[in-house]
Amino acid sequence: MGFVFDISLLQLTMVMMAPLIIACLGEIIIERSGILNVGIEGIVTVGSVAGFLGTFMMGSPVLGCLTAMMAGGILSLLLAYFAISMRANQIVVGLGIFVLGLGLSPLSYRLAVGVVQSPPQIKTLSGVPVPLLGNIPYVGEVLFRQNILVYLTYFLVAAVAFFLFKTPLGLRLRSCGENPRAADSLGINVTAMRYGACVVGGFFLGLAGAYLPLLITGTFTDNLVNGRGWLALMLVIFGRWMPLWAFLGALLFAYVDAFQFKVSSLPQMAKAVPPQFLLMLPYVFAMLVLVKVASGAEAPRALTRPYDRESRE
Amino acid sequence: MKGAWSEEDRRHAAALAATYAAAAALALLAAALFILAFGGSIRVAFATVLQASLGTWGGFAQTLNKFCPLLLGSLAVAFGMRGGHFNIGVDGQIYAGAIGMAAVAFGLEGLNLPWPVFVPLGILGGVLAGAFWGLIPGVLRVRYRVSEIFVTVMLNFVALYLVDYLANGPWNDPLAGDAITVPIPKSAVLPQMLPKSGGHMGPLIALAAAAGIYFMMSRTIIGYEIRAVGDNPTAARFGGININRITLVIMPVCGALSGLAGAIEVSGFHQTLLLGLTGPTGAPNYGAMSILIAVIGRRHPLGVILAAAVFAILMVGSDSLQRSIGLPGSAVFVFQAIIVLTVLYVEARRQLST
Repeated sequence: MGFVFDISLLQLTMVMMAPLIIACLGEIIIERSGILNVGIEGIVTVGSVAGFLGTFMMGSPVLGCLTAMMAGGILSLLLAYFAISMRANQIVVGLGIFVLGLGLSPLSYRLAVGVVQSPPQIKTLSGVPVPLLGNIPYVGEVLFRQNILVYLTYFLVAAVAFFLFKTPLGLRLRSCGENPRAADSLGINVTAMRYGACVVGGFFLGLAGAYLPLLITGTFTDNLVNGRGWLALMLVIFGRWMPLWAFLGALLFAYVDAFQFKVSSLPQMAKAVPPQFLLMLPYVFAMLVLVKVASGAEAPRALTRPYDRESRE
Repeated sequence: MKGAWSEEDRRHAAALAATYAAAAALALLAAALFILAFGGSIRVAFATVLQASLGTWGGFAQTLNKFCPLLLGSLAVAFGMRGGHFNIGVDGQIYAGAIGMAAVAFGLEGLNLPWPVFVPLGILGGVLAGAFWGLIPGVLRVRYRVSEIFVTVMLNFVALYLVDYLANGPWNDPLAGDAITVPIPKSAVLPQMLPKSGGHMGPLIALAAAAGIYFMMSRTIIGYEIRAVGDNPTAARFGGININRITLVIMPVCGALSGLAGAIEVSGFHQTLLLGLTGPTGAPNYGAMSILIAVIGRRHPLGVILAAAVFAILMVGSDSLQRSIGLPGSAVFVFQAIIVLTVLYVEARRQLST
């Protein structure tokens, strides 16, 4: 069974992992402040089209990523306004944003590209091996012969974990998600913290979208995201709202995803197992994992609860 | 109806009408902007939408055919929401229902049943398959406290690939191509309501289902309990209602409603099982549409009927706009979201000011 630990399979796993964990980090930041963002799939979708178009039209992946982050931030701000200032039901608003994102993406793609025979392509990023580290046999080859966005992912996981658990600002953010009244009484501006978390989290969600065309496909198709946003939402629970655990979860899912991708390209397997059953794997796996994990998971206590300074609860 | 409206009722109705008028106005404004952006003429485009969806018998039949799955799917969401459950799995349940219908149609083909027996049997197969697909998230929620939102979403993908497999594998029609099965037997086809223009009986069944849900919610004990759980689960629990039992009623009924939609799509509309049954990727699919129709229809069967009718018209109309000026069908999603967000905005404003 050398195949299971095949280097190219593990390298692909790292690539598949990146968009999942980036979206997941964004959602963790948002949920830690007490806001549940169910619109994540829609926001990531908008990020993917913005990232693609930005890269395609301005010729620079960096600008593409920035465009995607702006788009994600704006949509997330919309959610924040309804959830925080209007105190609307967060699940209903989130579902509205989800459908809005599904609608806006093909619309803006068509508007920018028009009806064309062959879809426009951007170059997917190529690998930049890290000197020395990339030469470590096996581990180095898997982790450090990747493209720059995967390295950025490692950094962001560590940065968000550090921010949430080792900085005063992170502590304040978490307090808004656990007990906003207590936070308020200590002089923390709950509204501002939640808005900030939503916008910064939105940057991550948009960036996660941009990863998909830049890392994996090189084109934009309508089903590019294909449930990855929902998977990321689930990974938040899997990771118990902690970046490092979520990172492990993302690796696990990405492995299953990469596994089905590699296996279905093997001719002898394609005969034995219909490819559709392999494609189901990540989703079935997600459900099984949830069953194991969900009952022990503690969400931030004020999640989905709007905060009203003047109410007396 | 209990006699004349009180002053308060009237004020409430007026506020509601104003809210929806504002939402519709904003959505129309957005529509006008899209049409201009795609280089169309606003007057021509609006006329095209109405002409294509209601102006001819053929168009009207198409609108009715879309109305049927939209109504059933939205009922499946609205019913769940009323009891505090979020069913994001309409697509998967429609697929499950379609598989159930097709399985009965292909499985009993040899018996040469007459249609009055065969069609109800097939639809029952679809309803049961849908109910089963809805029961899974119900059981997982009750047994393992897993949110039904996730499970219903994940099951969408599972059902999608299951149809992909069946339509490409065992039931594939090599003559028709990829991802489509052989046609179901003629005696399993739902009779037509508008035979010349291609409208099937499905909308009548869907309306009957809406009436059934209305009756269940307003006139039965279980309906009362569902509403109680939806309004305040804690109070309902202290009142002696077993919430787990309610979950195990709500989720299969949600699945059964969508499953019915899937069965009708196979039996009445496509007359075969195929991928893309709930809408091609990127275009509005019934599952996502249903969520917001349920919200726009205020989770009430009557409101859902009205909203589903409006969006059936828009779906058929936007199809013709796609052909004439290239406006993608997904624009309908944007209108929907604008209406939902406007309604939420106005209502939240009102709530905050009282």
